[in-house]
Amino acid sequence: MKYMIMMFGGLGAATQNRSPEWIAGMHQLLMKLDAELKESGECVASDALADPSQAKTVRFVDSAPVPTDGPFAEVKESLAGYWVVEVDEERALQIASRVVGYTEYPMEVRRIMEHSAQP
Amino acid sequence: MTGQQEVEDLLREFAPQVLAALIRRYGQFDACEDAVQEALLAATRQWPGEGIPERPRSWLLAVASRALVDAWRADSARRRRETAAALDPTDRAPAAGLAAHLIADLAGGDGDDTLALLFLCCHPALSPPSQLALTLRAVGGLTTAQIAAAFLVPEATIAKRIVRAKQRIRDAGARFELPGQPQRTERLGVVLHVLYLIFNEGYTTSSGPVLQRADLIAEAIRLTRLLHRLLPGEAEAAGLLALMLLTDARRAARTDADGRIVSLADQRRDLWDTAAIAEGQAILTQTLGSGPVGPYQLQAAIAALHDEATSAAATDWPQILALYDVLTAIAPGPVVTLSRAVALAHVHGPRAGLALLGTLDTDGRLAHTHRLEAVRAHLLEQAGDTTAARDSYLRAAKMTASLPEQRYLELRAVRLHQPRPAQQPDQASHRTP
Repeated sequence: MKYMIMMFGGLGAATQNRSPEWIAGMHQLLMKLDAELKESGECVASDALADPSQAKTVRFVDSAPVPTDGPFAEVKESLAGYWVVEVDEERALQIASRVVGYTEYPMEVRRIMEHSAQP
Repeated sequence: MTGQQEVEDLLREFAPQVLAALIRRYGQFDACEDAVQEALLAATRQWPGEGIPERPRSWLLAVASRALVDAWRADSARRRRETAAALDPTDRAPAAGLAAHLIADLAGGDGDDTLALLFLCCHPALSPPSQLALTLRAVGGLTTAQIAAAFLVPEATIAKRIVRAKQRIRDAGARFELPGQPQRTERLGVVLHVLYLIFNEGYTTSSGPVLQRADLIAEAIRLTRLLHRLLPGEAEAAGLLALMLLTDARRAARTDADGRIVSLADQRRDLWDTAAIAEGQAILTQTLGSGPVGPYQLQAAIAALHDEATSAAATDWPQILALYDVLTAIAPGPVVTLSRAVALAHVHGPRAGLALLGTLDTDGRLAHTHRLEAVRAHLLEQAGDTTAARDSYLRAAKMTASLPEQRYLELRAVRLHQPRPAQQPDQASHRTP
């Protein structure tokens, strides 16, 4: 089974009132976890997205697609990065919990659909 | 069993020689390059287990020739099916016979072949990504899979890039020969640029867990060393080699144990590679003044001044600024201006540097990149304007698409949040939250 574990938010807002030690600790946790998941073979893919302030949203306006500056969702709800892991649900939740335990900020765990018919 | 490294070293050395021998006989760069790649793959599979053959170059030639003949047969069989034409019996010549002719060719092969190959792969008709991929495969002797791993893209992407590159070379009517003057100087410029791009691809992203990037640096240095040996009189080829050595010498100190970026001023200088620095300096000393001074020699001279300083404070900034002045005169550009602003700030104060940066705000090439904003943040911090510096760091962090850079910039921004002396990162650990 594959799950996508998603982080949300943009730079600045979530970290504004945090100490440099706290931020450094978060960076360290994310790098360590990423390395662990790759080392164990559980990680299928992982990426961080550039800040939502750099995003463009294409909307359908006056019967034509029009790109505009800015993210689709609010910055704090904007996707910031993800892991795709091949594990059972319990393990996926455990991975997300390690990050949330530090950041105190919610993460979403979603099952990825199979391309084949399920037995 | 034979060491993987030993096999790869041999393959990388022989790949361009074998390819050149095939091309000189058959003239089809496209098909010959595919055949050599097949031979390299076969060697990668067989040599580590069975041992390196007694005459590895002849072995590669024989296998590549066989692959070439097989490809032609498949090709003509297809054509025969399509056109129902009779097959010319002469193209059934056994591959072993072909190889025997080729081995004679190889004996006469010299560095000019490798040079001609390099010029062909760095043909101006190709896009830079194609030039890089083709150079690494045809001259560097890397497999498609290795190149894909180094550039962090799927193998199929590199394979397609190479097919398209060879098609463009054919369409452009490019020939396997050394270009004559006056094109040669211009074409050499492209070759140097491609080698520098390979180096930078490895260097700017070698932080973090992506270890294979170091391979790109090693390969860029190896190919530039080869070019310098073949063209010892070209001052800029020597300059580029010196620049790579003097820059790469600092690699171990560029990131900390956690993979985080360490700025030049904060680097542990005892981690710098003194042998690489000495070699770079020696090449530079031999080269400067031997020919027209160019951008690579100047950048190497600047790197050498950084490497020679025993501490960040001991850096000879006036001399560095003077070199940037010359660089601005012969090869102006926004990136040079950006670096010059840093030197200017060290010599004449941060406000002078900031004023020069201001001239870049209207330059479309750099105005909206994180690099300009990051340098501005550093200079604002030096000037003691912590509020503006923090905003600039954060803006730069939002603009960058590099994760290690983003983390570095975010951390610098947060450090300025609570007012405290900026230049002493150690203080952080003594602070009580």
